[in-house]
Amino acid sequence: MSQVAPSPESPLSRLRRRTYEILDGAVVDRASHACEIFIASLVVANVIAIILESVQDIHEAYEAYFHIFDLASVVVFSCEYVLRVWSYSEKYRGEGDSPWRGRKEYIFSPFGLVDFFSTVPFYLQLLFPGADLRVLRMFRLMRIFKLSRYNSAMEDMLEAIKSEWDSFSSALFLLMISCLLFSSLIYIIEGHDQPDVFPSIPAAMHWFILTIIAGWGNVDPVTYVGTVLVIVTQVLAIALAAILTGVVATAYTAQVQRREAIYEMEVREVLADGVVTDQEKQALKVLQTKYGMSDEQVEAIARQVNAEKAEREKAEREKAAQG
Amino acid sequence: MEILDGSPRQKLSRYVEWLITAVVLINCSAVILDSVPEIHADHKEFFHELEFWSVMFFTLEYVLRVWSFGARFKPEEGGAWRGRKSYIFSPFGLVDFFATMPHYLHVFFPTLDLRILRVLRLLRILKLSKYNTALQDLVQAVYAERRAFGSAAFLLLISTIVSASLMHFAEGHEQPKAFGSIPHSIYWAIITITSGYGNVEPVTKAGEIIALLTGFLGVCMAAIMTGIVASAFATQLSRKKQAYKTQLMKVLADGVVSEAEQEALKRLQNQFRLSDQEVQSMVDEYNKNKETQA
Repeated sequence: MSQVAPSPESPLSRLRRRTYEILDGAVVDRASHACEIFIASLVVANVIAIILESVQDIHEAYEAYFHIFDLASVVVFSCEYVLRVWSYSEKYRGEGDSPWRGRKEYIFSPFGLVDFFSTVPFYLQLLFPGADLRVLRMFRLMRIFKLSRYNSAMEDMLEAIKSEWDSFSSALFLLMISCLLFSSLIYIIEGHDQPDVFPSIPAAMHWFILTIIAGWGNVDPVTYVGTVLVIVTQVLAIALAAILTGVVATAYTAQVQRREAIYEMEVREVLADGVVTDQEKQALKVLQTKYGMSDEQVEAIARQVNAEKAEREKAEREKAAQG
Repeated sequence: MEILDGSPRQKLSRYVEWLITAVVLINCSAVILDSVPEIHADHKEFFHELEFWSVMFFTLEYVLRVWSFGARFKPEEGGAWRGRKSYIFSPFGLVDFFATMPHYLHVFFPTLDLRILRVLRLLRILKLSKYNTALQDLVQAVYAERRAFGSAAFLLLISTIVSASLMHFAEGHEQPKAFGSIPHSIYWAIITITSGYGNVEPVTKAGEIIALLTGFLGVCMAAIMTGIVASAFATQLSRKKQAYKTQLMKVLADGVVSEAEQEALKRLQNQFRLSDQEVQSMVDEYNKNKETQA
């Protein structure tokens, strides 16, 4: 878990370690929790400000406030970024690596990139005042992705999807192939009759994707063959939705089972020596909250493990009696 | 208490259940038919009578429930009012209350808006959910996966805001009426995500691409939501089976199946809605295990 600290520690590196603990949230305590809540609420306030700012009346009435708020948030986010880069050298401390390993890992992680790109454009604008404001606003909107750091369930979901990536990519492949095939076909069949809606294959692709996602692609076919093609496309849309749903469901179920297995293993390990210390109990509790398992589930697992153990002991006793 | 709560399955409590269900269904049909002007004009008196008598009936039911739920906990566990309180503030108790109360409100304050009153009358249909255990299962399954649902909702929120803002940046100048501000585009984004097809056609190339991506995101969101529900249901089912199996093993372990044990198992089977076949296969499996051990 925690690395063994070399005994003489300078105050600076102690501070750095503390900063890391607070920002990373690896050690759950009040300070890191408060920091999380503060940053998350600032991000939410920022997003609301961007949305409100786009309403012309509100923008004109409170322009100065918005500007000050943006300035203040940029200062906070810049401090956060700098502190993170500075303190993440602690991540691989004690493994003999240079402090830049942890830093590099943070800077090029998705979170690091989001942190960077949601803050830096502000400074760019100071240097080059001629930049398009809309682009700038778009970058500011990236701040919303900072929130995903605090949503652990989302990480789980992404992980589940990643583990079923093969099925996903084959579904996407199917979609791509049928997109190419069907849009070329509709272009060949209906291109002459409706030159304004199917003037080219890319335009036909637009129609195809619309049909896939909405079930109706904006255009009614005029030839018989075209009608059949449209119907087949619509059926394909339903099939595709079913495939995606099935894959997600499987991935999710598999993940839940995996978690239960991990937890069960942990429980077995704890119960193996017959003594449950406070520390072990707490570790189990942390795992339970991390996996979002209900008390009921945990109880069922514990009961099962206990029952198995009792059976084993009974068998051993019988063996001993026989021997 | 036993008749109204229906915890042990008796004939009488069955009848009461059927009676209440029938009255609720008649009431709801009456509210729907009443909203047709011609029928309302023709049978006004009848509807009025019906409403009066059903309110009397529901009031009686409510009072009896409050009175009898005092017997839920033994005196040493908190006394009569604990059970009553637990009923009054349960979702069912609140529905029972609010489905009946408006009538009296109307009697005392005749100036109230009739439409609100009608909506509250429709609440009576929720009384039926008490008898629908599958609904409770559904709520439980969703509750067990609430974290996953939360993150799906979070994903939905993020994608709505991001696609709305992108659309605003892309088309705000060209179509100021529809995309003039982000709140306006949010309306468009939600329509596109839910139905795949926005209320406004994009005019720029960038807008078209954003619209297509948003629609595709909608398909993905539906898949994620459906997937989570399916998985939650499957997990819950296997958990229930496990619980039943544990109970069954316990009963079979001592070799004797008493009457009371049999009844308890039967009730559990009913509650978990396991088929006889599944139970039989569990018993078979147990017997086979025993033989191999012997």
